[in-house]
Amino acid sequence: MIDVRQITKSTRDGIPILKGISFTVKKGEFIGILGPSGAGKTLTMRCMNGLTKPTSGEVIFTDNENNLINLTHCKGRELKRARQKIGVIFQGFNLVKRLSAIDNVLIGQLGNMNPLRSIFYGFTDSEAAQALAVLEKMRIGHLAHRQTGSLSGGEMQRVAIARALFQNPVILLADEPIANLDPTNARKIMKLLQPLAQEMPIIGVFHQPDVIMEFCTRIIAIKDGRIVRDGDNKLTHDELVDLYGAELNEIETAQRSTPTPNETHQTPDLVIQRLSA
Amino acid sequence: MRPTKPPTWSYSGYRRKLTLTVWAVLAGIAFCAYWAGVSCKVNWHDLRQGIPKSIEFLGFLFPPDWSAFADMLKPAIETVLLAFLATVFGAVLSLFFGLAAASTISPVWLRSTSRFLLAAERSLPEIIMVILLVSALGLGPFPGVVAMSIGCIGMLGRLFSDAIEEINPATLESIRSVGAGHGQVIFYGVLPQVLPSLIANSIFRFEVNIRLSVLLGAVGAGGIGYQLYYNFQTLQYQRATVAILITLGLVFLSERLSSFLRKRFVPDVKL
Repeated sequence: MIDVRQITKSTRDGIPILKGISFTVKKGEFIGILGPSGAGKTLTMRCMNGLTKPTSGEVIFTDNENNLINLTHCKGRELKRARQKIGVIFQGFNLVKRLSAIDNVLIGQLGNMNPLRSIFYGFTDSEAAQALAVLEKMRIGHLAHRQTGSLSGGEMQRVAIARALFQNPVILLADEPIANLDPTNARKIMKLLQPLAQEMPIIGVFHQPDVIMEFCTRIIAIKDGRIVRDGDNKLTHDELVDLYGAELNEIETAQRSTPTPNETHQTPDLVIQRLSA
Repeated sequence: MRPTKPPTWSYSGYRRKLTLTVWAVLAGIAFCAYWAGVSCKVNWHDLRQGIPKSIEFLGFLFPPDWSAFADMLKPAIETVLLAFLATVFGAVLSLFFGLAAASTISPVWLRSTSRFLLAAERSLPEIIMVILLVSALGLGPFPGVVAMSIGCIGMLGRLFSDAIEEINPATLESIRSVGAGHGQVIFYGVLPQVLPSLIANSIFRFEVNIRLSVLLGAVGAGGIGYQLYYNFQTLQYQRATVAILITLGLVFLSERLSSFLRKRFVPDVKL
């Protein structure tokens, strides 16, 4: 589906950040990318969507009609066409806060639309019905007409996932999709993402080794711009120590405060809903 | 037990320094004001003599000559239309200038050109523009509309480009990431976020333009401002009073209307 071949990326001052990253993503995979801060995880993801051009190397994307698209070299219309097929979920949700949730989901189809129609006419009823169906799949159909800025973090992330799904992507990239969420909401989002991997491969950057081991099928570890591990979803403590060094203590402390799935932890939006009910 | 003194910092010393600074600044301002007053030949004697003269002059203004009201109505409407037209032109054009001047969505050459034009428009007062335009376009409302529209672009364009720059660039990037083009990013990412602020500022600018069009009328742009100027010049003070009262009414109504429209349509934008 997507083939990352020896990509490197340096800053303007010539400092290398990615030093030859290669991996291939196949159907049905849920890949978790792990690594200390500044290792180059997010940059790798950006190269996979063409938002950043690597200094050298290639990213080859195969769409659902088996067309090969070289994301490193394509520009203009070809790049837009490739991006339509690659769904991206961002860490900061990156939604248009003044628009309603359903409008944000509809934005997912902008790439498939004639620009003149999108500007002068907008979306059709049937497109809106489809967007609503995706929101309902994310279990937030009832919030479709709320202004996005008034939603909670967990709800916004669901809208962002709905937008990515509404694109009908061939592959889904998720850059730290649960980093801004509380542990309970984070697990809920992971549970929503997991079954989607059957339909389209998911590549996600995560900071929580326990989450990655539970939900992903393959773990890639990046350190100092290089892949130091690419394999199954079982990580040993020694591997984590090698990967994170001193940073591991902080991660483990954060994990100890993470409640287990059995603990009922009410998120503020749920509490507010119940109070108002 | 007495609290131990901090070795390097004393509260009373800090307090004393602060008080001295405040008094020094106030004394400085007072001195400058005195010096400015002397330079401008402000003196209490003239003011004392001026008060009875002003009261005497007020006598000329009253009672208002209401027969002039019918003659003033058309110029008053002209003033409102002048302000409205200038606001509409200014707001629409400032949209394009604002988009071109925003660093987050515009290429460098376009951004610097439009920023330069916006700054130039702001640095030239409307009254000077009208005086220049009247000599080129002749007396009447047209030079007023042009001058006020240009002033409007200078102010609204700048506010609009600032509002665009406040949008998180990551939001726009995320719209680009679904394959959207530049126009679509503007329509779905930029405009929904900044239109409320543009609307609020344009309504406020309409209020400013009403006041401004009275002033510009006096230098040749027609409307109620011209009536005011003309009646004073021809010593028809009681007719001029009607023009003053109409102006006050217009300014008051436009202020109420602007505040009502802003509260009704864009309640979450604070100016």
